[in-house]
Amino acid sequence: MKKKTKMGVRASSISVSTTEALLVHLTIGLGLALCFSVAHNVHFISLTSHPSQALGLIWAFQCPTVILLYSRYRKDQERCSYWKAVGRGLLGLPAGAVVNALGAIALGAPVGIQYLPKTINWSLMMSLFTIVPAASVFGSSWTDWQRIFACTKPNDPVDYMICLPAHGVVIGAWFGAWPVPLDWERPWQEWPVCVSYGAIAGYLVSLVASFGFILVRQHVKGD
Amino acid sequence: MAGLTCTKLTLFTVAGVAIQVVGLSLFVFGFFPVKPTLPGHSGPESFRAPTCNSIRNESERDLPPHQLRSLYKELSGIPPAFDRLILMVVDGLPAEFVLGKDGKPPSKNLMEAMPYTQSLLANGMAIGYHARAAPPTVTMPRLKAMVSGAIGGFLDVALNFNTQAMVDDNLLGQFFKIGWKMVMLGDETWLKLFPGLFMRHDGVGSFFVKDTVQVDQNVSRHLGHELSRDDWDFLILHYLGLDHVGHIGGRNSALMAPKLTEMDEVVKMIHMTNLLNAKNDQGQTLLVVVSDHGMTESGNHGGSSYEETDSLALFIGLKNGLSDYLSSTHNIVYQVDIAPTLAVLLGVPIPKNNVGVLIPEIFGYLTDDQQLKALELNSWQLLRLLQAQIPGLSCRNHPCDGSGGDQESRITKCYGSIERMCCCLYMNAAFLHKSWMSKEVSRSSSGKDYTSTVAAYYEFLRTANEWLSHRATAKPVSLLTLGIAAMLLSCVILLGLLFHLYKEVYTREKQCLFDLESIMQTWYLDETFVLGVILILIISMGSSSLVEEEQYIWHFMASTLHLLLLRKAIHSVHSFCKEQNKRSGLQMSSICVLLSSGRILRGWHQGGVNWTNLPDISKWLEQAGSDNVKSVQLVACLLVITLSLYVLFLFGSNRNIVLVIGSSFLMSGLLVLQHIIKHQDGMFASSSYSATTLVQIIYAILGVSTFGTIISVPWLVPFSISETCLSHDVSAPSEVQYKAVLVKLRESLFVTGWAYISCWCLLQLLLQQTINSMPILLLLVQTLASMLYFSYSGLHHKQWVEVSAFYFLGMAGHFALGNSNSLATVDVAGAFIGISSHSTVLSGILMFIITYASPMLFTLSMVMYISVKDTSYFVSPSDADSRELKMMIGFPCLVPLALNSILLIAYTIMLLLMRNHLFIWSVFSPKYIYVCTTTVCVYIGVSVVAATVTYTNFVLGLRNKMLYKLSHQQ
Repeated sequence: MKKKTKMGVRASSISVSTTEALLVHLTIGLGLALCFSVAHNVHFISLTSHPSQALGLIWAFQCPTVILLYSRYRKDQERCSYWKAVGRGLLGLPAGAVVNALGAIALGAPVGIQYLPKTINWSLMMSLFTIVPAASVFGSSWTDWQRIFACTKPNDPVDYMICLPAHGVVIGAWFGAWPVPLDWERPWQEWPVCVSYGAIAGYLVSLVASFGFILVRQHVKGD
Repeated sequence: MAGLTCTKLTLFTVAGVAIQVVGLSLFVFGFFPVKPTLPGHSGPESFRAPTCNSIRNESERDLPPHQLRSLYKELSGIPPAFDRLILMVVDGLPAEFVLGKDGKPPSKNLMEAMPYTQSLLANGMAIGYHARAAPPTVTMPRLKAMVSGAIGGFLDVALNFNTQAMVDDNLLGQFFKIGWKMVMLGDETWLKLFPGLFMRHDGVGSFFVKDTVQVDQNVSRHLGHELSRDDWDFLILHYLGLDHVGHIGGRNSALMAPKLTEMDEVVKMIHMTNLLNAKNDQGQTLLVVVSDHGMTESGNHGGSSYEETDSLALFIGLKNGLSDYLSSTHNIVYQVDIAPTLAVLLGVPIPKNNVGVLIPEIFGYLTDDQQLKALELNSWQLLRLLQAQIPGLSCRNHPCDGSGGDQESRITKCYGSIERMCCCLYMNAAFLHKSWMSKEVSRSSSGKDYTSTVAAYYEFLRTANEWLSHRATAKPVSLLTLGIAAMLLSCVILLGLLFHLYKEVYTREKQCLFDLESIMQTWYLDETFVLGVILILIISMGSSSLVEEEQYIWHFMASTLHLLLLRKAIHSVHSFCKEQNKRSGLQMSSICVLLSSGRILRGWHQGGVNWTNLPDISKWLEQAGSDNVKSVQLVACLLVITLSLYVLFLFGSNRNIVLVIGSSFLMSGLLVLQHIIKHQDGMFASSSYSATTLVQIIYAILGVSTFGTIISVPWLVPFSISETCLSHDVSAPSEVQYKAVLVKLRESLFVTGWAYISCWCLLQLLLQQTINSMPILLLLVQTLASMLYFSYSGLHHKQWVEVSAFYFLGMAGHFALGNSNSLATVDVAGAFIGISSHSTVLSGILMFIITYASPMLFTLSMVMYISVKDTSYFVSPSDADSRELKMMIGFPCLVPLALNSILLIAYTIMLLLMRNHLFIWSVFSPKYIYVCTTTVCVYIGVSVVAATVTYTNFVLGLRNKMLYKLSHQQ
């Protein structure tokens, strides 16, 4: 069964060159940086002072970049047009947000009305980095989803570009939740500020890591 | 894989546990020395020699205040020097700031900051001391030391956790007895310590450390008004600002000098008023400026460094000319010395547990014989305390009955054990005192005798003081090391056993199921995570705020583990295998139930220390009214009963047994329901006779039905003849036979395990607070959901991971029931339900049952876990009976023990490292008490589980043999 999947993947996916991967990673990373600078310099808000708005800005800004970029690497190129992949990504955004929000609440995120906008924006951002790329690329292919998220077995560069950042975001957010119960009385200890910082840090680290993996793989293949 | 036999494993485990118990008790006795304190208050008898208690007159104690005051005056023979006292506490002021260090005056800017105080010192109007404080240098224990002269034991806090009020003998209590009116302005710690003693008070919270101005203004704003009044006798001013300045900016903060100037202004104002009052014959007022502790360079305190223990004692307004007072050499005393000094100055008995010694120079205004009398009072009091601490101490030849049989006693060299030392020193002093008294005629010429008597008294007092205060704070290193070594050893033994068992099981699994090997080897994420959790828990123990907010960690870890398990369940979904998919679907839904009920449990009580004010479900329900709480409770109770019956009837295979057990559950459940409806009105559990009887009946029914189930089920499980007969005909009889026994074993363990769980839940419904009944239901649901998940998991998890998951759930549930690491959350009210007469032991047991409801529930559910876990693949024909048993109870018993031993040893070491931490009393020590009790809980739970399984196995084996014999005879 595994073999089948691998064969299927190879048949329909387009290969990604190292330069292309670098470009994608750079675009997303720089886009994130741009978001922060726009928030800081144009809207005069920061994640700590206006978490909800800042998170909203981030996901709204990054959404087109991520969906448009990742849709290019959709798996079933023959049957699925580019715009269909974009549509899948757009559909994946709210669906993934629900999954992320449920996960966060299960882990102890507060559920009061006053936290609702923050939680929504946070989970949309998380969804954009975790679910949306996979939705664009894999669509409704259960085996691929299972392979990436349940087994963590990326095979080709596109898999790496989806799998590592998604895991990085979640792990970063998980570690970011640690300072919340401490009594340092800092504004950034509020939900979801430090969790978002952790997630973004994890995302950036894993972007670098995924590019590194692709580089190493390409190198090994070349040899 | 020679492997340990079952007996050996048991023996090793028991040995490990025994070593742990010994080590733990050694450590506890070493770390928390128990110091016997004398109850009650010093009365008129303290003016008589210790052995003359027989002539004590009880009626003297109940005299009205003014008579008591004159009685004290008459008995002591020392006229009180002052009519009123002002105690000004400057929190955190190091004595160095006022008196300098090592004979040098303080730095110039500090001198200039306090011009008035320095001029008083220079003129001999004031006398100042470095009053060395004992650690922990934290406000409350230090205030206690100042007013009682006692150095508290470490378990002080723990043993009177439900009351902060000071119950030991102290100056304020003595003043209150002689009818003094007291006023307190400043830190509200005083109000907590002495509730109801103050005529007027204005408490200031010390919570906002950032505020350095308002806290002191709130004290000073009343000062002018209070000083102009004459209706008080004792005024306490407690200024917190200087401590706050230190916390913000350290010793050299720019705010320090202005703050000192502010304090100087206060001293000036009070002293001016006192002088004026004295001139107008309005009585003598003594002003004592003290600080409770010092501060380090960075402004912290709590430890035992010189900077922190260097506190101030400044006496202003003494009448004796102190021109000969040498300010630099002779000015180091102990903080506890303040209490006896003030007691003698103001004419009250020295507090009973005082270990302090009179400060010599203060009493210059007294005549020689009055001074000696004061020293004698101090000596008598210390001798009484010594007699309480050293049971064998009996200094005979007391000079209490006049010229008794002490003719032969003379000055001797003192040596030997502490008892002999103290005794001998005391007798020397008493002898010299007596001989000086006898030379009354030539007193004026006996200056030398007088000096030697004083020196002899001080030698005794200092020796006694040193020994007593050392005893209160000393931690015997050998005991602690031995204790830790023993606990480490036991931890190593338990882990070694676990590892051994793991290896054995693993090899066997590999042999039996080589096809599953690939899955076994690829999935390590959950195992790594469980190990990571242990590491995280150990690290988090070092942070006081994470110890306070431990509930977050447990919930976070338990839910993360469940999310990982969910991921694993998704992992095993295959599109082509329907059976497998159904199984995975069940697993996923049970994980979802676990997660959602865990989240509700987390939100039920906010818990912890710092964020208790945030909204949570229990507060919301309580606001909605007691009717709603009650209806929620009834619903929870009904659901628990229904659920327990449903599970029993659904899975219990034998109708008759199930019917009998089910009806006993139903009966006790209905009785609990009746108790809830009839007797629990809102918050208060009724304590009427009928309620107590009903509860006792429920206890009896629950006890009898549980015990009866355990005893009888293995005997009653049908052992069909055909099965056994069949087994003898088949070629491989032993294997099939074992399988048959195993099936029966699991069947009976299921019923027993469920009996444990549901009886425990019903008991909790009865005992817990009304608001906690829904969490009990949720915990029951969690237990069931985990059972469901793990019964389907087969070999996908290592068993130790599953048992650890149960342990984590138990701890998360512990905090979900509103418990925390502070002793304040122990439900004391519930401990008296169903007890007709007061009994400490029974209440203690009930308190334990209530507090450890959840960890115990999850440990007890191990019995059921063993039954749902399919271990039949372990059985190989060559196996002995006992090996099977070992495989079954090995992990469920060893994993909790090993986990707990790791946490215990880690926290013990952490406690030792933190012994000088600021929060050692308030945060770390209570947590240690909880850790110790959790250990006890694990011991009890594990032994119940092991005993049940062993017993069931034994009975079934016996029945099998009997059947075998029977069939052979036929």
